[in-house]
Amino acid sequence: MAAIPKEKPSRTDESRAEFARYKEDVKARGKPFYPYAMFHDTIMSMVVVTVIVALAAIWKWSSWGPGHDPTHKGLLGPVVDPPADPGTTSFVPRPDWYFYFLFYLLRIFKWPESVFLGTVGVPTIALMLLIGLPFLDRRRVRRPSARPVAMVAAVLTIVSMAVLTWKGATAKEALASEVKQDVPRWIAQNHLPKDAIPGAHLFAVAGCTACHTYLGSGGSNLGAPDLSAIGTRGLGIPTQIKHLENPSSVTPGSPMPPFASLGVPRLTQLAKFLEASKGGK
Amino acid sequence: MEPEQPSPDTEHESLHEEQHLPPPTLWPIGFAIGIVVVLVGLVINPELISSIGAVIAIVFGFLWARDATAELRGQPLVVEPERREMREAGEGMTAPPADQQGVALPPVPETAVTRSRFLEGATLGLGGVIGGLITVPVAGFALLPSFLSQKQHKVDLGPLSTFPLNKWYIATFTVDPMQGEVSRRTAFIRNNGTVTDSKGNASPSFTIISNRCAHLGCPVQANGPTGQKFTGNPSITEHTDNGRVDLESVLPAGYGCPCHGGQYDPEGNRIAGPPVRALDRYAFEVDNGRLILLSTYSVAKVVGTGAQAKIYKYKQAGPGQHVDGPEQWFYPLQPPHH
Amino acid sequence: MAVRRKPTKAELRRQRMEELVNFPLDWLEERSGLIGGVRYFLFRNVPADVNWMQTLGSAALTAFLVQAITGVILAMYYVPSAATDPATGKPVAWESIVNISDGVFMGWLVRGMHRWGASVFIILMFLHMGRVFLFGAYKYPRELNWIIGVLILVMGMMEGFTGYLLPWDQTAYWATVVGINLNGTAPFLGPWLAQFLRGGQEIGGETLTRFYSLHMLVIPGAIMALIGLHLYLVIRLGVTSPPWSKDAAGMEPEQEEEPRLRPGLTRPVPRPAGASALQAEPGGRE
Repeated sequence: MAAIPKEKPSRTDESRAEFARYKEDVKARGKPFYPYAMFHDTIMSMVVVTVIVALAAIWKWSSWGPGHDPTHKGLLGPVVDPPADPGTTSFVPRPDWYFYFLFYLLRIFKWPESVFLGTVGVPTIALMLLIGLPFLDRRRVRRPSARPVAMVAAVLTIVSMAVLTWKGATAKEALASEVKQDVPRWIAQNHLPKDAIPGAHLFAVAGCTACHTYLGSGGSNLGAPDLSAIGTRGLGIPTQIKHLENPSSVTPGSPMPPFASLGVPRLTQLAKFLEASKGGK
Repeated sequence: MEPEQPSPDTEHESLHEEQHLPPPTLWPIGFAIGIVVVLVGLVINPELISSIGAVIAIVFGFLWARDATAELRGQPLVVEPERREMREAGEGMTAPPADQQGVALPPVPETAVTRSRFLEGATLGLGGVIGGLITVPVAGFALLPSFLSQKQHKVDLGPLSTFPLNKWYIATFTVDPMQGEVSRRTAFIRNNGTVTDSKGNASPSFTIISNRCAHLGCPVQANGPTGQKFTGNPSITEHTDNGRVDLESVLPAGYGCPCHGGQYDPEGNRIAGPPVRALDRYAFEVDNGRLILLSTYSVAKVVGTGAQAKIYKYKQAGPGQHVDGPEQWFYPLQPPHH
Repeated sequence: MAVRRKPTKAELRRQRMEELVNFPLDWLEERSGLIGGVRYFLFRNVPADVNWMQTLGSAALTAFLVQAITGVILAMYYVPSAATDPATGKPVAWESIVNISDGVFMGWLVRGMHRWGASVFIILMFLHMGRVFLFGAYKYPRELNWIIGVLILVMGMMEGFTGYLLPWDQTAYWATVVGINLNGTAPFLGPWLAQFLRGGQEIGGETLTRFYSLHMLVIPGAIMALIGLHLYLVIRLGVTSPPWSKDAAGMEPEQEEEPRLRPGLTRPVPRPAGASALQAEPGGRE
C-alpha cells in the first residue's frame, strides 16, 4: 500500500472499490476467455493427459517381469502387490506418496503421550489454518514482495512438506529380511575374520538393527549408538557377552532389553562379531 | 424436528377449530404408527410386519395428505363463506378481536393463521418428515451394523503337546473360517507350563501376544532368529477346526514395528517408540487338552515374566488409544467389542 | 452487400447450412437459455495479462474428468469382494484387478490412467493452491472460493485414501489399517468413527464394500458439487491479474495517474472474427 489516503476509508470500502475497479478494467481492457485463455488451458490439459497416459504406459511396459508376474516391481512399482494378508509376519506397510508427510510425522511423535498430536492434532491445526487463511490475512495487498510473512510461511510450509515427504519416502525399517542382504557387504567392508561371520548373520536376524545402525544398515530413529566400530573400544568378549545378557548390569540405566534368551554359544558368536567390527574404511 | 416452525398439525388443528370443521385429524398419528411398524418389522419380520406397516403408513399418509391439502383443492368460493360464518361464531365465543391485521380484509381472530403462514409451516414440516423418513433408515443401515452382532470366535490351535515348555512360536491362524483369509491373524505364543494358585489348583499358563502394534495396528515382527537352526525346534503346520495353523519357532528378544518404529520387550511391554501401551493379548482356555484362543484384551503393562507375570488388563481398546494415565479420558466410551 | 443481387447458388447453400446448424441451437436456447449461458462463459472477459500459472485450475479439472471417466469404466470390471476365490485361493477383488490389468482389452491403460491420474490430480490441486496463494487471489471477494478449494483438496485426498484399499493387496490393506486407526485416536468420537469406517471391529469385506461406495459415489458426488460451486464463483468473481503485472486489473487509481503503459486503451485486444458478433451481448440472445 504505497499511497496514504487523506481520510482513511475502511478496509472493506477499499476492497469493494478495488473490486469495482477490477470489474471495470476487465470489461474495458480484458480479452475474451475463449479463445485466448482457453487456448492456454487446452495446451496445459493436453500436457496433463499426455503425462497421465505416459505414466500408465511406462507402468505397464516396465512391470509384469519374468513369468508374467503382476507383483514384479517395474520403474513405477508393481501392477499390484501380493494379496492382502492380515496375518503377515514380514510385510512393511507404506502409504501412497502423498501421505508420506503424515507417515513421517507419526514417526517424529515417538512418545506415547504425543501420539494423538501426530495422528489428529497437527493435521487438524494445519487444515484449520488453511481454511482460515483468507481471514488471517485480510490485507488488500497482493504483490508477493509486499507480503513477506505470507511468503516466508509458504516457503517454510513447502520445505517442511518436502522434507517430511522425502524422509517418509526414504524411511527404512531394519527388518531381518532386509538387513540379511547387507551381511556380505559388512564382511567385505569391515574385513571380518571367519569366526566373526556367524555372529554377523545372527546380528542381522536377531533384531539388533531395529535400534542400532551398522555400516549404514538399520534404523537410527530410536537413538541407540552406531555399532560399526564398537570393536575399537576394547570392551573384550566377556564384557560383550555380559552386556548382551543383561545390558543394565554393564551400563546402568540402559534401555536395551536383555538378550539372554539367545543362549551363551550364540551370544559368544555375537560378541566375536562385535569385537571384530573396526568401523570399515 | 423443527423447533421454530409451528408444526403443521397444530396449525391445522386451530384452523379446523376456528372453522368448526370436524375435530383435529388423527391421520398423522396413524401414519407415524405405520412407520414404527415398518421399522419394527425390519428387525423382526421384514416380509410380513413391514408390509403391514407400509400399508398402514401409505393409507394414513394418503389421508393425511388429502386432509392437509384440502384447503388447496377446495375452491375459495366454498371457503370464504365458511370463514365469514366462523368469524361471527368466533366473535361470540372469544373476546372481541383486539387488533386487526391491517392487510387482512376480514378481521381474523388472533389465533388464526394466514394461509401463507400455514402453507409455509406445512411445507417445512412435511419436508422435515420426508427428510426424517429417508434419513433414519439410511443412517440406520449405514451406522448400526458396524456396532451390532460382534461375534466372539474361538480359535483351535491344536493339542497342548504342540507347544514345548518355554519355547516361543509365531502362530498364524484363521479366526473365522467363514470369512477366510481376511480373518488371518498372528500371535506370539509361549507355553509357561503350569501355574498353581493359592488353593493348590494347577492350571496351564500361556503367554499369547497379538502382533498388532499398540500404536496404529501395524504387524509387529519378532526381533530374533527363527527356524530350527537357531531355536532347536521345528516349525510346523497343523490343521484344526479353524483350518490351517502355522507355527514358526522363534527366539524373540522383543518385537519391532515396521511402520513407525515402536519396540517391545518379549512380554510385550513398550520399550521405545510411539506405542501407547503394551501389546494386546489373547485370552485362552484349554478344552479337551487343546489350546483355544478367545478374544483379545488390552494390556497397559506386564510386570514379571511367564506364569508369574502380573498383567495390567483392560477391555480391548483400539490401537493408539491409552487405557491408563490421564490420556484415557480422551476415550471414555468405547464402541461395543466382543 | 449494399447492392441487392440474387444470391449465388454457393451462397444459398451456405445459408442453408448455417440454418441447419443454427436451428437446433436456437431451439435449445429458446427453451433453456443454455446456449446463452455457454456463450457467456466462453466470451466473458478475463484480464488481458493472465498467465500460464493460471491454467493449473483447469488442468486439475481435466485430471478430475480423467478420473471420473476411467473410474466409471473400471467400475464395470472391478469386483469389491474380499472373499477368497476357492479356485485360486486369492481374494476376488485382487483377482479382478489383475484381470483388469491383464485380461480386459486396454484395461491396463484405463487402470494406469486412473492410478496415475490420481497422483497428477493431487499434484495439480496443490500447484493450483500454491498459485492462488502466490497471487493473493484468496483475498476479498474470493475468500469463499478458497475455502471451497480447500474442501475439494480434502475430498481429493479422501478419494486417494478410499481408492487405495480397492486393489486389496498388501500395501492397500495395511495402509488402510493405519489410516483407520489414525482416525481411531481422535479424542472421544475417534473409536466410533474407526468402527464405522471398518464396518465392524476388524477390517474385512464390509470395509471394502464401504470404501468402494464412498470412493465411487459419495465423495465424487461431493467433489462434483464443490467443483460446480467453485467454477460458478470463478465466473462470477472473475480471474485475478498477476499482482506484479504492470497492467493489473483493479490497480490503485493513484498509480494509474503516473505515466504507465496501458496498452489496452490504445491497442484493443483483437477479437476472433466469429466471436465479435456473439460477444455483443454476453449472456443474451442476439
